[in-house]
Amino acid sequence: MRQFLRLTWKEVRELLRPRYVLPILLVPILFVALGQGFGGIDEATSGQPSVGVVVNDTGEYGAIVNETYSQGAEVVYHGANVSAAEAMERTRAAGGTALVVVPGGFSERIAAGEQGGVQVRTVVDSVSLTGIASSGQVDGLLGVAAERITKTATGARDAQLDPVDASYVTEVKGQQVGQPPSVLSSAFTSQFIFIPVVIMLVIVFSGQMVINSMGIEKENKTLETLLTMPVARRTIVAAKLVGSATVGLLAAGVFTVALSEYQSGLTGGASALPAAFSLGAAEYLVIGAAIFFAVVGALALALVLGVFAGDRQGAQILLFPLSILAIAPAFATMFADFSTLSLPLQALLFAIPFTHPVMAPKQLMFGDSGLVLAGIAYEAVFALAAIGLAVYVFNSDRVVTGSAGRLGRWLQRLQR
Amino acid sequence: MTEAALSVQSLRKSYGDVQALRDVTFEVAPGEIFGLVGPNGAGKSTTLRTVATLLNADSGTVTVGGADRDHEPNAVREALRYLPEEAGAYENLTGRGYLNFVASFYADDPDPLVEAGVEMADLGERVDDKTSEYSKGMTRKLLIAAALMTEPDLAILDEPTSGLDVRNARQVRDTIKSYPGAERSVVLSSHNMLEVEYLCDRVGLLDEGEVVATGTPEELVARTGTENLEDAFLEVTA
Repeated sequence: MRQFLRLTWKEVRELLRPRYVLPILLVPILFVALGQGFGGIDEATSGQPSVGVVVNDTGEYGAIVNETYSQGAEVVYHGANVSAAEAMERTRAAGGTALVVVPGGFSERIAAGEQGGVQVRTVVDSVSLTGIASSGQVDGLLGVAAERITKTATGARDAQLDPVDASYVTEVKGQQVGQPPSVLSSAFTSQFIFIPVVIMLVIVFSGQMVINSMGIEKENKTLETLLTMPVARRTIVAAKLVGSATVGLLAAGVFTVALSEYQSGLTGGASALPAAFSLGAAEYLVIGAAIFFAVVGALALALVLGVFAGDRQGAQILLFPLSILAIAPAFATMFADFSTLSLPLQALLFAIPFTHPVMAPKQLMFGDSGLVLAGIAYEAVFALAAIGLAVYVFNSDRVVTGSAGRLGRWLQRLQR
Repeated sequence: MTEAALSVQSLRKSYGDVQALRDVTFEVAPGEIFGLVGPNGAGKSTTLRTVATLLNADSGTVTVGGADRDHEPNAVREALRYLPEEAGAYENLTGRGYLNFVASFYADDPDPLVEAGVEMADLGERVDDKTSEYSKGMTRKLLIAAALMTEPDLAILDEPTSGLDVRNARQVRDTIKSYPGAERSVVLSSHNMLEVEYLCDRVGLLDEGEVVATGTPEELVARTGTENLEDAFLEVTA
């Protein structure tokens, strides 16, 4: 046990060196920055816009426009019978970015059944998403004013203005939900993209770490010395798997937080997933088991591939087949429902062990636990077989010579 | 009869169609420095790697201090230390840290072994620098020290002075020369015949995967009627 811990610590220390960790951290930092940028737009639009209001109209409808802006915006300049250019200058001097001009005769035209014109002048100082965000708020207030004028002019009530009250019942795989399909679709899309991407990252990063570990040993020429230490080969394999998994999960955790920041910046943190589709503790445990076996299988498979790495650069290339196996099911289940696929495609996806953790949340959400449990059983068998293969390879000449017949030659060619 | 520190009998090993070892047989006595000499591709490194449990043999037997490498690989690994021709240290460790890492596999309290290793490596204050900052010579000295500080029954050194300058090579040779004891033997390979003549009590000449002659350097020179070991080597492997 002492030797296992010592070797595991060595792996973790080696893989946590800045030269390996910094490139991995770059993308999460980008995601966090993007999330914060989108959050900044929300913040910019959550406050009141600063506007100037010029009312050249003396009727009651002009007063409604004026009142609406006084309530919904910070009016930094108020004027009447003043030129638009002068009013804009004063508004700008007071810190405003938009000017609303209600012309004379506005109320009379509406009373005569015509449209009353309102001019909105906006200054965009910064050509950015945040810079133009407040102009939408100014437009929104104009819509509020128009509705109030309609009610005043016609005496109509809310129900008359919006006479149809739609109530939605959507049936999804036998479960009824009181939400329109569009809301469900948007909620599920966010869940079904986020979860597969995170799981894909966990698998790819864990694999990358263990392949890196082998690449580093080869590059630093430390592997042969390590293999002649008085330690069982299975202990070396276990230490490499656990050490790499620790760093891989850490990297995936950082990515998950970054993605969640990004998503929350994009959606404002709101999740519209109906309660009927929320998962309980038992279901999360099942998903956890699916992820665990997938990661173990990926690590063992990556360790076997890593044996054929000439150096760290070659190791990165050898990650390619594993990445394909992780990405394919993530994308397939993002855009299609497993049950609607053709039988050969279903069989192909089922055979990829990394499909099951990706699919598990969706299947459990819809109460299809049979497929999930069968997938986990398959994953467990795959993981055990992959570990067995890793131990076998570590006990063979291949770990030193990197040669394994046609497969070894192909993997060596891949690294050129 | 004293048990051999290393016994290699009828060792055969092939890589696909290439027969690397045809019939390698030799023994190393306790306290002896045995040199394995041969031209490039003769099978020296394959022999040493097979003894060190890195490669599996097709047939033949290897015992280290009586422990069979096929049946008790861990006992064999405990008895020997192997220094490959091309070896490095973990770059994120200091020299002392690397010695400590190795020593901790051989003793509950690694400190005395580490101190012995530090003295043997003779790196001065640089022993506390990261090994990534070491020159080739410093790394080699550190690795020799890491191999010998644990006082293995059998030290296997593949080209121990390869790529070293004269001063460092001399220092490494002196360390190796003084290593053997009643229960401590060395097997080394080298292309430097002067080094082999200086260091080795006995020499095995390996050619095309077979040990074609064994004996003390003097015996080999006399047997071939040549003037020195280099000529004897050329004569035997011609």
